[in-house]
Amino acid sequence: MNENKQDSTRETVGSVKANIPPSISDAESGFVPMEGDASFSNLLSKLLRKPLSIFHELETKEALWRIPITLILISVVSLTVFGLVVGTFSWGAQIWAAPLKIVSGLMFSALICLPSLYIFTCIGGLEARFSTVVGMLCSIVALSGLLLVGFAPVVWLFSVSSTSAVFIGFMLLALWGICVGFGFTLVFRAGKAMGMTNTGHLLVWCLIFLLVTVQMTTTLRPIVGESDALFNFEEKKFFLQYWSEELQRATD
Amino acid sequence: MNPTAQNAIALCRGDNGLLADWIGAARSGSVRCCLLLIALGCGAYGFTVGLRNGWEMGAYVAVKLPLILIITLLLNGLLNGLLGLVLGSGIGFRKSVQFLLTGFAIMAVILGALSPIGFFATLNMPSSGDGSGRFAWHGASLLMHTGLIAFAGITAHARLLHYVREFADSSRAGTHAFFAWLAGNLFVGAQVSWNLRPFFVSPGLEVEFLRNDPFNGNFYEAVIVALKNVSQI
Repeated sequence: MNENKQDSTRETVGSVKANIPPSISDAESGFVPMEGDASFSNLLSKLLRKPLSIFHELETKEALWRIPITLILISVVSLTVFGLVVGTFSWGAQIWAAPLKIVSGLMFSALICLPSLYIFTCIGGLEARFSTVVGMLCSIVALSGLLLVGFAPVVWLFSVSSTSAVFIGFMLLALWGICVGFGFTLVFRAGKAMGMTNTGHLLVWCLIFLLVTVQMTTTLRPIVGESDALFNFEEKKFFLQYWSEELQRATD
Repeated sequence: MNPTAQNAIALCRGDNGLLADWIGAARSGSVRCCLLLIALGCGAYGFTVGLRNGWEMGAYVAVKLPLILIITLLLNGLLNGLLGLVLGSGIGFRKSVQFLLTGFAIMAVILGALSPIGFFATLNMPSSGDGSGRFAWHGASLLMHTGLIAFAGITAHARLLHYVREFADSSRAGTHAFFAWLAGNLFVGAQVSWNLRPFFVSPGLEVEFLRNDPFNGNFYEAVIVALKNVSQI
């Protein structure tokens, strides 16, 4: 009964929130109702132009699982395109293995980091729904994926010019750092717009997510360059050790 | 006066009205005008760069110098549009291309204006085939042209920054977008110029449009190798 009461309270608050016009500070930050529906093209446009309106939609409307699903779809399409371009460095099996590893690796990283994101945002004082937090995570991956597609012609140029897998590897890591940095900035903005009081915990989570994704590139190696085996799960290595060994081998 | 020449002068003077018309697509033919200015200005200057190694090399560099800018813009077009939007400048794909084309056109006008000086300097240098001091003159030519191209680039981009800040949703976002574009264009432009080498033709090497292996290696690997060699001295 108590639960029903809480649900009805949340419904009332949700409908009230959805109907009242945004405050001046909300409008300035872009935390305003989203125009249009949750279609692929509209969400893609909003992700680039008015990303906070997506979180407003998630926070104020009921049963909006369509937004996270569309964001995941944007992520998969973007990362597949980017992965194909990365695969052109080695061709062969890598042309399908690289996109598969990039998409699955990033999705798995996001999945294992989701519980900690929810807890850390709660500790940071954010009173958001779980679906909103899922949407935050999906938007990080989707925005990073979109920016990686923007970098795809650059990666292609270097993949056809360079012979060094280590150079390409470090360049891809740097590009990933830049793209995910934009995703993190978006989540910080969303957190602040939704009333997060302490962003220190979110910063810790961002570092953890970055660490997990970089370690994933070592776990799923080789993503760049040729190899006899498609995976190398037997030999366990920390990414710092792996990359320093590769760098040492390249410079010897 | 010819409309293209009028536009070139207006751009150098910082005529905001012209760019406002171009950005708002109120005046057609802006892309054609910018491309024409780039082809003429960079082409003329490129000719003086290559001339030291003969008319053939002059013609090659006249074609390749504008190509560097256009290929860089094509490769970075999508990224620049995305960065413009994500950084909150409100400048999307079409506008970012128009802004950067305008910046490159200003640079081309400056280079075109400097090309008679480059031509005169080249005529006063011994040709690359002369044995005595050919490395010294090659170095002098390299430094002079690099310096002049850098000057034109910096002046044009300073003007472009002014434009971008004015047209962006906020001055701060415009500055961020501008420097993000600049970083991307420098990173990719260096590699494109590496792929399209030679431009200055080092003494002892042959005159040719592209090297036999234009896609073998990259600019940054070459810099790393050079640094390693220097550290061993």
